[in-house]
Amino acid sequence: MLQIEIDHLNKHYGGFHALKDINISIKQGSFVALVGPSGCGKSTLLRTLAGLEKTSSGDVRIAGQSVIGKPPRERDVAMVFQSYALYPHMDVEHNMNYSMRLRRRPKEEIAERTRTAAETLGLGNLLDRLPKALSGGQRQRVAMGRAIVRNPKVFLFDEPLSNLDAALRVHMRGEIRKLHERLNATSVYVTHDQVEAMTMADHVVVMRAGVVEQQGSPLDLYDRPANRFVAGFIGSPAMNFLPAAAASNGALVLDNDGTQQIGLNRGMTHGRQLWIGMRPEHLSLKPCVNDMAIDATVTGIESTGSMTFVVLEVASQPVVLAHGGRPETRKGDQVRLHISLDDLHLFDRETELAA
Amino acid sequence: MKRYILLIIGLAMTAIYLFPLYWMYLTALKSSTEIFQYPPTFWPADTQWNFLEVWKSRGMGRYIWNSLLIAVGVTILATTLGTGCAYVLSRVRNVWIEIALFAILMMQVLPSSLMVTPIFVMFNQIGLLASPRIAVILAQTAKVLPLYIVLCRATFVQVPRELEEAALVDGSSRIGAFFHIMLPLARNGILVTSVLIFLQSFGEYVYARSLIAKNELQTATVGLQTFMGPNANDWNGIMTYAAIYVTPILIVFMLLQRRIVSGLTAGALK
Repeated sequence: MLQIEIDHLNKHYGGFHALKDINISIKQGSFVALVGPSGCGKSTLLRTLAGLEKTSSGDVRIAGQSVIGKPPRERDVAMVFQSYALYPHMDVEHNMNYSMRLRRRPKEEIAERTRTAAETLGLGNLLDRLPKALSGGQRQRVAMGRAIVRNPKVFLFDEPLSNLDAALRVHMRGEIRKLHERLNATSVYVTHDQVEAMTMADHVVVMRAGVVEQQGSPLDLYDRPANRFVAGFIGSPAMNFLPAAAASNGALVLDNDGTQQIGLNRGMTHGRQLWIGMRPEHLSLKPCVNDMAIDATVTGIESTGSMTFVVLEVASQPVVLAHGGRPETRKGDQVRLHISLDDLHLFDRETELAA
Repeated sequence: MKRYILLIIGLAMTAIYLFPLYWMYLTALKSSTEIFQYPPTFWPADTQWNFLEVWKSRGMGRYIWNSLLIAVGVTILATTLGTGCAYVLSRVRNVWIEIALFAILMMQVLPSSLMVTPIFVMFNQIGLLASPRIAVILAQTAKVLPLYIVLCRATFVQVPRELEEAALVDGSSRIGAFFHIMLPLARNGILVTSVLIFLQSFGEYVYARSLIAKNELQTATVGLQTFMGPNANDWNGIMTYAAIYVTPILIVFMLLQRRIVSGLTAGALK
């Protein structure tokens, strides 16, 4: 069953076209991440779902009902804000049950649901504290609690973890995902962190400049990026791109380097300008099956302990290789760089679309 | 060393500021010969306690009651009208709002003595001078409203917009969000600004002098003038009157001092 349908949605701020013809369908119970660089329109789209922004054209349906023109309170959505937006003058309990008090629910029901939500989130002993007396992580959980007590149709998250420190962020990622599954909720999650999007979501929507660049399952986006932007955005460290052109025999020749040819025949027309995309983790210093090899110079080595990033130069272009463990190579070494032909991505240099 | 120098400079400045106040109380307690004595004394030799006498002979109770009535009226009217206005001006951003804010600030520039003539003519024509205290309340409200709006808007601006949005998503209406979230959070600023305009109105002179004809409806500031004659020299009486009038204000100020200072500087940090 579709819980949210966004249908040819457009949004203008004066002369600025913030959202351009957005189409997204979200199934009941799924976890959708909206991801993209800042200013791409992901937060605007989320706020549009919440009813905090007006739309210019197109339709948004929640549980089959169009919500265009409806105020937030008639949409039955809950939202967790980046700043948490806890009411500073209310204690944790009143922050959490404000929505139920507004709806004039019976006292026993309010108390019961507040208690259950507080226990779920481990806030049981903090109910009479004011937000200023809480730590960042606790505030974050109160913000979550405020959303879950309501049992809404849809949860909206606006970068809820960006104010937490790294360790807590990783922990809360798992917590939110678990909570989502336990409540069988439909969640829309905005983040600029592609790792968050990949690890938490069932469906990832990559946006740029108000346009949906690609949407699909996380691995789909990783394996088959539709264009150069998505390829560069998904994956960490980012994909390497080398400019190349198709030779008369159909093989690829790297720019700035007439000698190295890549025997990859995909029937490219002679002279077509391309980007060759290679993920750092697919590159290897040792030969592998069905591979190609290019000459490279090691210009730097960055080690994290478990992983080593070898920075190389290929045809005067920087290339990063991710190596599990510790490779036996040093700065200045001349090496052969191997990659399986199946792992090569090609993008047209003019349209930036996958070729 | 530097700390002590700053402390001494600070104390010296405070002394200069507070000297008139000290002189007022001092003169109120001196006898009339001692007042004109040269060189002056800085502590009354023969302390006079004329407070009750001045209070009775000048009918101060009535004057202060009128002042209080006008100040309370102005405060109620200005807060009722100004709070909503300040909120809107803090939330909507466009050219018209900019123009409105500019116009409001401009109104601050016009002094009472300039406005009083057109106001007198207008109130006279619509018959408002029959109820002169209400006339003063209206005129004085018009005068302090810009200040109230500008100061109050500053406190609303400090309340993050997301709090209001959170309330809307939680199921509140816009008006509900204003009363449940915005007002409680802007409470301190509203309180401080109200106290400021109350004190300003309590000491109002120009409108009361011009719009109120009957002596029994006059305010305390104008009442002080009854000492003034062709050869007035009852400085002791004048200062006693002033001391009675000013002391309650001083006490209010001192009690609220902490809040007023924090309200005026609020926003420096959250």
